Amino acid sequence: MLKKSILSLLLSGALVAPGVAFAQVKTEISFLRFFGGCADEYANVTDVDKASGECGVIQVLTNKFNAENKDGIKVNTQNVDWNAYYDLLSTKLASNEAPDIAVMHRSTLPNFVARDLIESIGEDLTKAGVDLDDFAKPAREAVTYENKTWGLPFDIHALLWHVNVDIMKAAGLVDASGAPIVPKNAQELFEQARIVKEKTGKRYISMDARNDAMPVRVFNMLMWQQGADVFSSETGKPTINTAQGKQALDFIQKLYKDGLAVATHGNGEASQSFQQGEAAIMVNGTWAVNRLASLSAEGKIGFKTYAVADFPPIFGKATWSDSHMWVMPKKNRTPEQKAAAIAFLKYLNDNGISWAKTGHLPVRTSVLQSEAYAKLPFRNAYAQTAQMARAVPMVQNQRPAQDAMRDSFGAALLTDKSTADALAEAQSKVERLFRRVR
Amino acid sequence: MAARQLRSERTSEWLIRSLLVGLAALWMIPLIWIVAMSFKPNDVLAMSTSGLLPIPFTLKNFSDIFFVSMTPRWLLNSAVVALGTTALTLVVASLAGYAFARLDFPFKRTLFIIVLAGLMVPEQTLVIPLHAVVTSWDLHNTHFALMAPRVALPVGVFLMTQFFKAVPKELEEAAAIDNASRFTIFRRIMLPLSIPALVTLGIYTFLHSWNDFFWPLVSATNTNMYTITVGLASLQGNFAQTEGLGFIMATAVFASLPIVIVYLIFQRYLVRGIALSTGK
Amino acid sequence: MTAAHSATSPKHIGISPRFAFEPKSSAKRRDGLAALAFLAPYLIFFVLFLAYPFFWGVWISFHDWELVGTLRKFIGLANYWDMFEDPIFRVSIRNTLLFTAITVPVMVAASLGLALALNRENRFHAVLRVIFFTSSVFSVTVATLIWIMVLSPDRGLFAHLFNSLGLQPIAFLGSPDWAMPALTITTVWWSVGFPMILFLAGLQQIPQELYDAARIDNASAWRRLTRITLPSLKRTIVLVVVLQIIGQLQIFGQPLIMTGGGPADRTRSMVQTIYETGFNEWQLGYASAMSLFLFGVMFLASMLQLYISRQED
Repeated sequence: MLKKSILSLLLSGALVAPGVAFAQVKTEISFLRFFGGCADEYANVTDVDKASGECGVIQVLTNKFNAENKDGIKVNTQNVDWNAYYDLLSTKLASNEAPDIAVMHRSTLPNFVARDLIESIGEDLTKAGVDLDDFAKPAREAVTYENKTWGLPFDIHALLWHVNVDIMKAAGLVDASGAPIVPKNAQELFEQARIVKEKTGKRYISMDARNDAMPVRVFNMLMWQQGADVFSSETGKPTINTAQGKQALDFIQKLYKDGLAVATHGNGEASQSFQQGEAAIMVNGTWAVNRLASLSAEGKIGFKTYAVADFPPIFGKATWSDSHMWVMPKKNRTPEQKAAAIAFLKYLNDNGISWAKTGHLPVRTSVLQSEAYAKLPFRNAYAQTAQMARAVPMVQNQRPAQDAMRDSFGAALLTDKSTADALAEAQSKVERLFRRVR
Repeated sequence: MAARQLRSERTSEWLIRSLLVGLAALWMIPLIWIVAMSFKPNDVLAMSTSGLLPIPFTLKNFSDIFFVSMTPRWLLNSAVVALGTTALTLVVASLAGYAFARLDFPFKRTLFIIVLAGLMVPEQTLVIPLHAVVTSWDLHNTHFALMAPRVALPVGVFLMTQFFKAVPKELEEAAAIDNASRFTIFRRIMLPLSIPALVTLGIYTFLHSWNDFFWPLVSATNTNMYTITVGLASLQGNFAQTEGLGFIMATAVFASLPIVIVYLIFQRYLVRGIALSTGK
Repeated sequence: MTAAHSATSPKHIGISPRFAFEPKSSAKRRDGLAALAFLAPYLIFFVLFLAYPFFWGVWISFHDWELVGTLRKFIGLANYWDMFEDPIFRVSIRNTLLFTAITVPVMVAASLGLALALNRENRFHAVLRVIFFTSSVFSVTVATLIWIMVLSPDRGLFAHLFNSLGLQPIAFLGSPDWAMPALTITTVWWSVGFPMILFLAGLQQIPQELYDAARIDNASAWRRLTRITLPSLKRTIVLVVVLQIIGQLQIFGQPLIMTGGGPADRTRSMVQTIYETGFNEWQLGYASAMSLFLFGVMFLASMLQLYISRQED
């Protein structure tokens, strides 16, 4: 009662959404995601060609759907900061506030499925005309758990080698065509770093270390490059504290201890400093390609020529990847709301090429092979990534495990903790987390 | 001798005064800087954040608050929650305080001790079970759920009990002879006397409720129900990007204005109130 | 001030003698009903939102109890045994104790110093009192927002200062050694107001005659401070120390927002670990057990105050 009266008071006073014709809206669905907030920057923009970056593309796609769908569906976006996303999704589920559609990672899906929190939507998608067989194998795997389809795969994202060509050229590390030379092993990498420092005085790598998952992603990648894995895919047990783990973490530690990268960088500071032209290379994901390309084209960053490449083989060929998907948390929906949610998912799937613009790898074979995709800038430069991409086995509690590894590894990068101690600590923390898995 | 001592005391007095002024300036510089940034255009701030004056000057950050953000809604939620908490606390605490101070009833001492034991339970350690309990009552995302846990804290009851105990009995006895009911005595005699204590309790409750963080962070999960404290935290993720720095600062300034105004109006009651609650 | 206020001065507070002028039994019964009516509104809140959740927390702590889903499995004391072997919880205990040990003395010294310097009845001092308290009215989000900016190595005030001196700015929040002191500075700036006011209130209760007598004896300012002021403030000092210990042991918003508990876990606090265990790892039962441990620690701190005040009487 109190709740209702106060709510109505508030609604009358505070919620006046500009420019929305309420009369036409028949069904509203809630849409929870990260990717950033840019509703004001792209207010009323419905032309996807005008959007750049993850935030721009998903915002404009949503705008477009709201403006053009014939069924009177209105999608209400709530954007959440990426660091707080899963905490909020969890408390929302606990407090009966589940969104109609939520973004999720392949790596977090098992936790939600195991607790029966998500609808299995394979059949509904098929009925709506989504061709599940069009999904590439890794994408299909990403949404499949215990033989059911739990979401609509949206992309595969992987780590890439982003290059400030100005610095590489000044250091003489370009080939005859002017393309930057990518190191072929650890030794070449350190040699390049030395040359860059000597010839230009610049740092070699920008890579967030503090409070950031990047070192963990790179650690996973280096494990796969050695033919090992962080979790055993058969037993789901952590295999962090191993000879390969030592090799991987020693390498990462050396990047920071030798000054190739700055250990106090966190919260995107590495990406800032790369944009300001302070480092030759940035270790970051597919999600940065489009933004960096358009910023450099507009002359808005501290260097002229940007390039990107497949991640170099430090110990072997492999790169880290994960997958974004859309899921429908369990909640009481009217049939109209459910249909509206499926309709929006179908629309997002149809527009997969727009999302691929961000730099992510598309999930549909038909898009991957399309001419439109081939025409996107830089795609040839990281054509190998789709084959090199590896992902963490689908086990529960991966996110807390990743956080635990992040904190232990952080100590090895920022303090004088030895890599052996950090690995042992990470191993025991992750074992504890996995012990709680049902 | 006395004159020399007087002079040296005067010198040290001036020394202390100038030290204090310097310290106060240091104290305020971050605030002045933030306020200055809130009046600067975002693209200027992306290049440089130095300078304590808002040059170049813009009001766009503040107008953006009204047109593109949820901030007004969050402010309204905070106002409803803080005012509601304060009103409820004043009512229930003064009633209960009167009973503990002036009425004689079975198990009074035991009950008082039980309530006082509640003082020992730190707010932060209650959040987890409170969340589970409020979930089972399906009360999350309501203003009431944001108010109730603070109303339940015994501080107000303790303060009002102490206060009423100190009111001279003679004032009541006269009324009692006139055969007035307990409630009439409470309302006609005790309440008017307790206005200073109520004002103090009110300000403290308002300040604390306005600034609550942990509980609303986990209970208000619908953006429409965020308080300004939680809402502002949800914006901070965009820190890494230089874009929007002025806007975030403007939101912080705007969000703090009501509480600063409340504080400046009532600040003289604060010291008095502390003397009341801890005067032992 | 009104009569009511002056009546609250210390000597009047104490257990009041029962009403002597009414015949006991009938009055007590009548009062009993009235008391029920007076107490009921508060007791409803007290029982539903404090007592019940507290005991519910104890109950949950004996379970494997998840935030979402339906898992509620009784496991006895397993959460408690687990806790002390948990490296994450242990490091948060260490950090929280360290933070408390650094912050409480700084806070007490700063607030006492300010109170001593500002304990005058004139405009100048009144304005300064308002200034030093103003930062306390901001929410933790605003206070941390301000200090993240002030301490930022490329955009902060300190960075501007360092740059103008030709020095390399320090990444305070990114440095394992500086992060904790940075949180202390933020906390002192943010919340020195309340203890300062407690001390001011204490100072105002010291009888002026004591100082007048000292003046006649030609006692120096230092002697007056150590012989009169500080001994008279003893109770307030104990109170402030205990309130500060209890408050700082519950530190949450500052590390959560400013450092995320990093770098390298150096600022992770107990309440932050409780929050993450409950709402990120979904282990409400385990998080409840941690909460009760924290409650125990703070209970000991309060008992310490009782003990010290008893010693004095």
